[in-house]
Amino acid sequence: MKHKVSHKDIAKQAEILCPLAVTDLDKVPGYEEKPFKPVKPDWKEKYDFSLDGFSALALTPPATKEAEEELVNKFLRGLEKLFSQESNWTFMQPTSLSTDYCVRCNTCNEACPIYVESGRQDIYRPNYRSELLRKIYQRYFTTEGRLLGGFVGADVELNWRTIYRLAELTYRCTICRRCAATCPVGVDNALMNRELRKLFSQELGIAAEGVHKSGSMRHLQTGSSTGMTPAAFLDTIEFIEDDIEERIGRRIKIPIDKKGADILLIHNAGEYVSWPENPAAFAILLDAAGIDWTLSSESMGYEGVNYGTWYDDFQFARVAVAQVQAAKKLGVRRIVVGECGHATKAIVEIADRVCVGDLAIPREGCLPLLEQIVTSGAIKFDPSKNNFPITLHDPCNMVRLMGIVSPQRNVLKAITPPGCFREMPNAGVMNYCCGGGSGFAVMNSLNFPEWRNNVASRMKANQVLEAFKDCLDPSIPKYYCAPCSNCKGAARDSLMEHYGFRDKYNIIYGGLVELMVNAMVDVEKPFISWEDEF
Amino acid sequence: MGDTLSWLIAGPFMYLAVIVFVAATLKKVITIASMPRHLRWDLYPIAHEGPAGSAFQKVEFWKQPRHISLAHELAEMAEEILLLKRTFLYNRKMWNFSYPMHAGFYLIIGWIGLVKFGAIMELIGGLKISGASTVFWAQALNVVTVIAGAVGLVLGLYGCLGLLWMRYTDEDLKDYSSPITFLNLYLLIALFGIGLAAWLIEDPSFVLARGYAVSLYTFKPITLPPMMTLEVLLFGIFLIYLPFSRMLHFAAKYFFYHNIMWDDEPLVAGGSLEKMIGGYLHYKAQWAAPHLKSGDSWLEQATANPAKPKEDGK
Repeated sequence: MKHKVSHKDIAKQAEILCPLAVTDLDKVPGYEEKPFKPVKPDWKEKYDFSLDGFSALALTPPATKEAEEELVNKFLRGLEKLFSQESNWTFMQPTSLSTDYCVRCNTCNEACPIYVESGRQDIYRPNYRSELLRKIYQRYFTTEGRLLGGFVGADVELNWRTIYRLAELTYRCTICRRCAATCPVGVDNALMNRELRKLFSQELGIAAEGVHKSGSMRHLQTGSSTGMTPAAFLDTIEFIEDDIEERIGRRIKIPIDKKGADILLIHNAGEYVSWPENPAAFAILLDAAGIDWTLSSESMGYEGVNYGTWYDDFQFARVAVAQVQAAKKLGVRRIVVGECGHATKAIVEIADRVCVGDLAIPREGCLPLLEQIVTSGAIKFDPSKNNFPITLHDPCNMVRLMGIVSPQRNVLKAITPPGCFREMPNAGVMNYCCGGGSGFAVMNSLNFPEWRNNVASRMKANQVLEAFKDCLDPSIPKYYCAPCSNCKGAARDSLMEHYGFRDKYNIIYGGLVELMVNAMVDVEKPFISWEDEF
Repeated sequence: MGDTLSWLIAGPFMYLAVIVFVAATLKKVITIASMPRHLRWDLYPIAHEGPAGSAFQKVEFWKQPRHISLAHELAEMAEEILLLKRTFLYNRKMWNFSYPMHAGFYLIIGWIGLVKFGAIMELIGGLKISGASTVFWAQALNVVTVIAGAVGLVLGLYGCLGLLWMRYTDEDLKDYSSPITFLNLYLLIALFGIGLAAWLIEDPSFVLARGYAVSLYTFKPITLPPMMTLEVLLFGIFLIYLPFSRMLHFAAKYFFYHNIMWDDEPLVAGGSLEKMIGGYLHYKAQWAAPHLKSGDSWLEQATANPAKPKEDGK
């Protein structure tokens, strides 16, 4: 059922503005829907669930009228700063343009997997939240809005409900920017979403716990968003060396803090914790290819993530600067980022205009390097070792937002037998987000994961089923290749656990390097196994 | 009284409208162009990279020469501007009306150019542009002008009426249509509709229009028949209003594409971009959240660590 919600409704008193139910959602073939769990009474008492019955932010409603007024005033002060050169030089131009020149054609709507899969709920339209921002901005900061009000669209009341619902709404978009790719004018509603997140974070101190407190703040405090300290990192590396020895029958000494190395490889530290076979595979490949590389044990030097990318310019800059400083300290020639989409985009692309002067050390993603390893002939591969159906996920950050499309495909073509690699529908720059983008994969507070798995990842589930539709029989092992740590997190939590693809269809997930090592002639035992728990 | 009013509209008011349009549009464009250079926010494919695609696909891409293909950029721009490619691909229902409306505008802009060109030819060549002319190019110019004007008005009117119908009948679009949206459409419908009526009733070969253009060039405003006077009034209002409305997206679109989605200019050590960014780092950011220090420079805040344990261990 479609719940009709106008922009003006955002301010109204209602227990839940858009009471989402599983029956509203698009179907995933073969998946038996389970009703959403009711909100726990103690959560309900304490936190605001009034948007759609879910909470990503654990916001507590203001207790007094004065507290509400203060909230409204703070919000308005923050909104003003988004349009200030001094406070927001980083994104003022795109924000201003996207505020002023949307022609309200709704073309962006059908591009959004969350809107489509939710049963086309009004509140999840890519332009719903940005239209609220425009209306509020018009009403409080423009002459025509002050004078003409509703006639020019400035008709949204600003109260605590508007602000809290808007804050929650900013965490119902993965900032995949598929909407922007379809806009005839060039308006970027995903950027507007990020700008709103930024306003909430930088002015009101409101951000999802997973991206701020236990994300970028923990990163700055301990050296990694996982909380892994340099000492713990060194222990992990030792464990990985043991694991490699067990897997390939020989020990590789992983270079740590090698001064003046050609490459400093930075992984998303989540790999060390959840998928150590990925850094292990990198180590095997780089060692076999004779590349001069190193990892850093310096705080901030072994963690590639940058959660500020999704919500806060200062947190972004702090992490990026610290990462580059760690590389400078080692005197490496370049930084290469492992299989992590947002980390790659953050340090390679966005930070290009932050890391100036002596911080401008060359940085690149790993996919072109992996392609070079394959094409250079430095390692001998036997494609027949990857004789199973494989599909490729295009991480939004690396593909749509950086244009890295062909290297990973060239690698796959070289290391798989003909017919095994199949594209999923909409592959390439118009691919759909895994559902874990913009921090969703690391946001696990209250009942948000239930929304994420059911709504945000639903399109990806349908895409994967479509890609494997001719071989869904569980007797055929299948591999969902996601060369991005966050996308793997979403695959684990949503595709495998929630939708049951592993058990039902014998689909496993992993990165690209695992497939490469699996195809290495010099590696006797299969590196990928359908028996092991990934 | 009628003649005086017509003269005032056709003469002084039109000069004023053109001046306001040019000045306000320039001001808007300069304001946008002078906003700070933002952080990179590319969206691929980037047209000027051509079939080679993104530079990020190459190992050590900073060592490669930057690939800029003007031909590919122009081809993509032409598809987007002349055919409304994205609307065609992703919103066909709207394209069915939006395209005729935009095509109508393009033809009317072309028609204005042809009328002005004819006027200049009449002024300097002493030749009358009309179907009765014995000079071939004058006859041809007349025919092309009539076709551009008539087809432009019909397409524009059809497109605007279709868009109005969509905004009234499509529930989703209705939610995104404030009264000003409808007013904009009514203004355009009036502009194309009255223009069409004026052409059919008062000036089928656009002889009067050409004469009017001559009068504007020679600063000797003339009076016009009622329909044409009304059309000129509406056109003047449209020109004055345009820079302040979202209809200026035709100019904003340039910045959306070239300055945001396709802005892949890398930072080069010692280059102008680096100097520019270096200047921004001294801006005082005023954000008030607890993890920031309002009033400190961008550089100070970007290198601070709010999570670093204090020396006293707290």
